[in-house]
Amino acid sequence: MFSFSASRLRRQLRALFTPFGERSVYDSAAHCTRCGSCQQSCPSYALNKQETFSPRGRNQALRLIMERKLDPRTHKQLLEEIVNSCTLCGRCTQTCAGKIPTAEHMLELRRALNLRALPDSLYTLLSLRGTRPALFDRLVRTGLFLRRLGLVALLRKTGLTRLFGLEWINRADDLLPRRIPSLQKYLAAKNIQSRPENPDLIYLPSLEAQYFLPELAASILKSSAEKHRPVLWPNVSSGLFEYVYGDLRRSRRAVRRLIRRAEQANLPILTDSVDVFTFLHRAPQLFSGNKRWEHKARKLAENMRFVTDFLPKKPLAFPDVKTPVRLDYSALFCREGEPLDSVQKILKTLFKKNFVECLYTDADTPAFGYGFVRNSWAKPMALNAVRTIAQTQTATVFTLSGLSALELNYSLKRLYPNARAEHVARLNG
Amino acid sequence: MKIPHTALTELRSLLGKGNVLTDEASLLLHAYDCSLSRTRPDLLLNIRREEDVAPAVKILSAYKIPFVPRAAATNHAGSCAALNGGAILNLAGLNRILQINTQEQFAVVQPGVITADLQNALNKLGFFYAPDPASERVCTLGGNLAQNASGARCMKYGGTPDHVLEADAVLPTGQTVHFSRDGGGPDFIGLLAGSEGTLGVITRLKVQILPLVKHVKTFLVTFPSLEDSVQTVTDLTARGIIPRCVEAMDQTTLQTVEDFSHAGYPIDAQALLILELDGTPAQIEREEKELAEICRKNRAQQFLPAKTEAERNKLWLGRRAAYAAIARLAPNVMVGDGTVPRSELPRALKKVRQILQERNIRASLLFHAGDGNFHPHFIFDERNPADALRVKRALNEVLKACVDCGGTISGEHGVGVEKRADMAYQYDKPTLDLFARMKRAADPLNLANPLKIIPVNYAEKARPQAPADEAVQTLAQRIRLRREAGVPGAVTGANTRLKTAAKETFSTRALTKIADIDLTNYTATVQTGITLDDLQHALSARGVYCALPGGKGTLGGAFSSGAYPHFYAHTLGLEALLPDGSLVRYGGKFMKNSAGYHLTRLFAGARGTLGIVTQLTFKIFATPVTVPAAENAPAKPNALWHALKHELDPNGLFPILPEDNHV
Repeated sequence: MFSFSASRLRRQLRALFTPFGERSVYDSAAHCTRCGSCQQSCPSYALNKQETFSPRGRNQALRLIMERKLDPRTHKQLLEEIVNSCTLCGRCTQTCAGKIPTAEHMLELRRALNLRALPDSLYTLLSLRGTRPALFDRLVRTGLFLRRLGLVALLRKTGLTRLFGLEWINRADDLLPRRIPSLQKYLAAKNIQSRPENPDLIYLPSLEAQYFLPELAASILKSSAEKHRPVLWPNVSSGLFEYVYGDLRRSRRAVRRLIRRAEQANLPILTDSVDVFTFLHRAPQLFSGNKRWEHKARKLAENMRFVTDFLPKKPLAFPDVKTPVRLDYSALFCREGEPLDSVQKILKTLFKKNFVECLYTDADTPAFGYGFVRNSWAKPMALNAVRTIAQTQTATVFTLSGLSALELNYSLKRLYPNARAEHVARLNG
Repeated sequence: MKIPHTALTELRSLLGKGNVLTDEASLLLHAYDCSLSRTRPDLLLNIRREEDVAPAVKILSAYKIPFVPRAAATNHAGSCAALNGGAILNLAGLNRILQINTQEQFAVVQPGVITADLQNALNKLGFFYAPDPASERVCTLGGNLAQNASGARCMKYGGTPDHVLEADAVLPTGQTVHFSRDGGGPDFIGLLAGSEGTLGVITRLKVQILPLVKHVKTFLVTFPSLEDSVQTVTDLTARGIIPRCVEAMDQTTLQTVEDFSHAGYPIDAQALLILELDGTPAQIEREEKELAEICRKNRAQQFLPAKTEAERNKLWLGRRAAYAAIARLAPNVMVGDGTVPRSELPRALKKVRQILQERNIRASLLFHAGDGNFHPHFIFDERNPADALRVKRALNEVLKACVDCGGTISGEHGVGVEKRADMAYQYDKPTLDLFARMKRAADPLNLANPLKIIPVNYAEKARPQAPADEAVQTLAQRIRLRREAGVPGAVTGANTRLKTAAKETFSTRALTKIADIDLTNYTATVQTGITLDDLQHALSARGVYCALPGGKGTLGGAFSSGAYPHFYAHTLGLEALLPDGSLVRYGGKFMKNSAGYHLTRLFAGARGTLGIVTQLTFKIFATPVTVPAAENAPAKPNALWHALKHELDPNGLFPILPEDNHV
């Protein structure tokens, strides 16, 4: 199974684009001086206090493998745990003086070792969104319909989901709202146009905004429509899913597809997910060595917009907030820079003293569906996030992606119902 | 080494199966710390409960398995590398703050508590813990004590050992010992400081906490030369102004830091100081005026006080980003740590720059100007063995330059394995012998973090011993004669404190020389037979003060009897005669020393049971300072004191331990 070798790992991403220039994965890992500054910021280290599951340990493990001092074939199980315990949150990179991208290292290792993070059935289903969007659309709609009929509840009750290795259905069922209207119907009911003539902005909805949180997609379309004519591009893969859970070839293919479509349209692209925004900003590194596509990816990155561009000067939906408000930094790869800094600044301006500043030790919800990767790790991490919220008696937590809002709301409902999570775009109402 | 199967079974039944790991990957991931050292252990034990430490150590001791305590492993000295293989005791899980008592101003913590976590918990209550190592966000309190860590605030508030009131430790034999500052006898907490886990495993600490200082003012001052900046600190001390911290950079570092952080530092300055004053607003105002005057006198180019919190943060921005500024330049950064007497800083830094230039090494120099402690940050690539070797050699030369300037090879990072060989350059053979005997006393099987601190085969490499004072030589001769004759005797000074009716005595009354009163570094070196009245008289004639009150007793009596435990923090160095007549020398006119076991703390309060202190170097002040006297409680010997006595004085030449006396 482990056809891994140092040369193969090198073949994967030619270079990582770091703030200090392009570096090979090995070079990047070797820049770790083992100072340990990252340890306390890592959610998995916070849980078990073991070097093995810390950013420093992960970088050293990668280096040991690349230097052929550790044979991955004989340590399959532990290495899988080391890689998959990483939530890819990038908090370690934030605290690191050398800005070492440990999350990227772990993704490289995951790909090199052919490790599958998501359950097979879930991976197959979700990868259809990029390859066969129509089929994917039908499957999701059918699934939601069956859920409405109570079939999912029945499957859970009878334990069949567990029996067939479909536990992810239980988790998805827990996270999703009880009643989910279809986006088209919702937009029609609210009289929001999603296909205007002569559009000047593309809205690329995330999976959750398109299928599970139509009010989020509607809110974004409505607020951006004040200055623009946004057009909805449903089921267009950004390549992020493939990058995190699949392989690099598929991810590159998806990004190329997106670049081509964007070039044709020649319009800026708006996303509601901070993860997609960050990923596409880093997309040029996917094409390192291929100047033409690297240039195109750079252009795409320049054309990316996040919902922060359309946030109001006054919080329309929260006009009288007197209770503490905070930001959940749940995001992939990075916990600083744009758009996180902008959102923080906006929230600070809007809510003034009621905005609760985060400490570097404060926990966040694991991002981008990490709960489906390792629920046993994600659960206590979410608990830590709720603990932080409860300690500051925060009433509203803003998130930077719909999925994080869903995840956090699930935990809050059970553990601290005084608070609720909202996507930051909901400031628009 | 191969771990016996039965040992593994016993450890698994004690700690749980998942906490006893022997797989290659886990072991390799516990083979390093922040230094270049890398040694694979044979066993990893994750300790989850405080009470498991002693039985685990007992099992390891029974099977003669070496062990290394480890928590955050952020040290720069290689202290966490398991050189003899064996077990790593991962104490990071012992991370609970057990009690915070603001009424009596203490906190009780487990050794794995992160220093910043304690600070955050205390800040909410209006208190703070004074030691502030630069890595406080990641380093642990147990590690701080084991490595004798300190930080920028050290000049005013002291280092970690000065803020630990009580400590629980498990000796390498598995015996649990409680050390307390109030317990009398040697300052074992001070002795644990910098012992790097070689004397035992720290399992609990009671630390002193202080009310939060509400008023702090920060200043940025630039100078046309390093000498001017150092003279400024000396003048401040002379006026009795002790800043909260004095951080400094030289021109090359300034440039690197400014390029990265854009903090607005003037890059044409040859030296930059960031000073911070704290206290009441009136006190700060008064001190600020004096500071401005002193800076002007010393040709300061710019004197920029921070008027707001934002300005204060801006002044600190560059200093805080210094490591990051350097870390981005190359794959690896080796952080050196040398300390010299403050007056020697310009000479030492000049030597360091010369070494770097000769070896063509890029490095930045940051230093705590207040205590003469500097940190060269060497930039290199550890994957290139020649590069790594070049840097290692340069570091050794830098450390030797420190010793040549009358300093030490470590101010706050410890010795570990990285600087082990340099210990022979700093200490003579009798002193290194004493370190080795102390280790043997506490750890007869050499299991606790073996092969650290003490150099291997040092007999020929050790620094040649400097000739002793004539009176000391005479006393040493008497000791040797008595030893051969097997006639024990009491150690006496003026016979005012530990009164003895013994006929056979070793008197220190002939040792009355004042070797040095240094008004640049503010230290005094004085023989211990001098009376406190005479000492006060001599010091006041020079317009300075020491922290001891006057009296008819001797300096040695005040130090050895345990009457003034707060004075221990003021002692910087000593000379002492051991029961075998050998003379050991430790410390000097520098403010910090993490090289070797703290001998000043070993002999402090030991009541002459382990040796005769013949000379002390201690801090002096421009304004009167007095330490409180301790209650005259009889010292109760603990297992470590017994072991040390047995090792150093097996024939009982010097006074027996108080408890035995009582019996």
